[in-house]
Amino acid sequence: MRVHLCSFIWLLLLSFLPSFATKPAKAEILPWNSAPLNSISDLETIQSRIQNSFLKVKKSVVSVEAEDGAGSGVVVSPEGLILTAAHVIGQSGREMKVIFEDGSEAQAVSLGGSEISDAGMLKLINAVPEFYVPIAKSSKSEVGDWCFALGHPNGFDQERGLVLRVGRVIRKKEETMQTDCRLLGGDSGGPLFSMDGEVIGIHSRISQDPEANFHTTIESFHSNWDYFVNEELHTFQSMQSGGFLGVYCEESSDGLLVLEVVPGTPAEKAGLLSGDLLTHLDGNLLDTREKLTILVSSQNPGSKVVLDYSRQSREVSVRLELSERNSLE
Amino acid sequence: MKAQITASFLLFGFAFFLVGESRENHDSLPSNLRLNGDSITKILGENKEEILQTSVGVFRNDKLIAQGIIVDSAGYILSKASSSVGARTIRTLEDQSFPIRIRKRDERTDLALWQVMGPPKSWETVQWADLNQSTELGMWSASAGADLDKIKLGVISANPRVILREGGVMGVLLEDLNISTTGIPITEVLPHSSGDRAGLKIKDRILKVDGRKIKSTGQINQLMQEKDPGDLLTLRINRKGKEMDIRITLGHRSVGFDLFNRNLMMSGPVSKRRDHFPFVIQNDLPLEKEMMGGGLFNLQGRCIGINIARVDRVTNYTLPYPIIAPVLNTWLKGLR
Repeated sequence: MRVHLCSFIWLLLLSFLPSFATKPAKAEILPWNSAPLNSISDLETIQSRIQNSFLKVKKSVVSVEAEDGAGSGVVVSPEGLILTAAHVIGQSGREMKVIFEDGSEAQAVSLGGSEISDAGMLKLINAVPEFYVPIAKSSKSEVGDWCFALGHPNGFDQERGLVLRVGRVIRKKEETMQTDCRLLGGDSGGPLFSMDGEVIGIHSRISQDPEANFHTTIESFHSNWDYFVNEELHTFQSMQSGGFLGVYCEESSDGLLVLEVVPGTPAEKAGLLSGDLLTHLDGNLLDTREKLTILVSSQNPGSKVVLDYSRQSREVSVRLELSERNSLE
Repeated sequence: MKAQITASFLLFGFAFFLVGESRENHDSLPSNLRLNGDSITKILGENKEEILQTSVGVFRNDKLIAQGIIVDSAGYILSKASSSVGARTIRTLEDQSFPIRIRKRDERTDLALWQVMGPPKSWETVQWADLNQSTELGMWSASAGADLDKIKLGVISANPRVILREGGVMGVLLEDLNISTTGIPITEVLPHSSGDRAGLKIKDRILKVDGRKIKSTGQINQLMQEKDPGDLLTLRINRKGKEMDIRITLGHRSVGFDLFNRNLMMSGPVSKRRDHFPFVIQNDLPLEKEMMGGGLFNLQGRCIGINIARVDRVTNYTLPYPIIAPVLNTWLKGLR
């Protein structure tokens, strides 16, 4: 918990989802060691791949304007879905203006998203996008990958155009990734691309260190896609009155690894133990920690749910009743 | 007011917080492998040494105020004029100090030419890129770090363009009057603005600006357009029937009119003059304002321009060599 406590968002996040960074050291070759750069021509290869991708994707990046500020976004489907940040849309059902790279404008309406990951979505109204970009599959980007960030820092400026930043993925954990691409306000909601021009993240927050900024992972969008498209923005405030389970967990390739079970909660009553791997809630695959939080807290306290987990390779299914979040305090 | 602050934060900003380096562990990319890590910048090899060798720190009273590049073997140094004001010495890669004196200054480009004093010596000079070298978006570029011990790497990050004069602001709102014989009343003084610092108050009536009689609000706006941030003006005002003179230093529009400009706050110190340039290319290098005046180089170690303004956390402006060349060549021709 240490230093993040000065953060407003992390503070809220950690109050129910702490992550304990105590994984055992990995023995295998770390991905960033697999293809070290040796020569200027290696750097030039990166440059030309990014320049090629930039030309392919730039027409899909938009500035998102509201009365009192601006962020960025990226069109990702022929229906006009736009990925952006939750803190750019603020709420669902809000009409917002988007400006394309060439200065043309369109109206969009905010759909949903989640304040946990800061993922947000918009959809163009009465407009079919001319261009949209592919999004990367889950788990495709990893620490060490070269990437580039696009956006409209300080808002739209036709003369200046889109601003390009290049960097590497320096951390990736749960719903957040960090890169050393430089970001500023107005970039919020803008896309982070792989060198091949697939969206791997959405700009979210900056840190005091200009060379370590935060992005929502594309995995967060994949995991909660239908919820983000169809439901209201999932907010910290709305979570307070929702259902509560009572586990701290982190993502692993086999499911959500339970790190701690909070005494006196439905999770403890149902017999969950640390080390259990949660796999499904009411049949929904738990591929991200955020998904569990959303599935649990978007239900009312008292709702009954079925939780599947595996304990020492044995599959278990329990039925439990969610409690109130503040029942502990 | 509070609601307004929250809204602007939510829409325009990011949450702002600290991340301790103590979090570094095996899940993080080691520092030396990051964009500006040693394993990346060492790839530049001899070109890196050449960049550092021909860059100098510019000092005033032992304080680093700018960078410069050596442009002539007789010891001429090119730097950013408004950052290097009052400079006394330069320091080289070998950590040697030399006294300098100003020889030329150009308001339009904000360039200054300094000369190293003392016994003659043959200086290694920057190798300029070709005049027609393209500087397209995404091109790698490098500059010397603050202590000339490292290279900073980044890319050309936006369209090249003219940067217009921003104009100075007083940070006050005026009643809109087409004609007035009794001055123009101030309706609001923005907190912490130049007007606030100068002691302007609501209901003060502006009668004269620098001795010129004011008859309309448009006339004041016109005057401000022609002034730069940092310019000093004398206002004759009428306060509750009493006439008095108030001296005011004009501020930046971005500061004066966006009090909660988080972007500026998060950017750290930026250059005082960061507008009104004939033509710039933009880069995303992580530079400090004391690194302005230094060179921007391509991967081959050729200088493509002079970093002329730290604008914000993601933006530096660089005067490209084709803009510098005519100014510099005229200067050097006259001095040789």
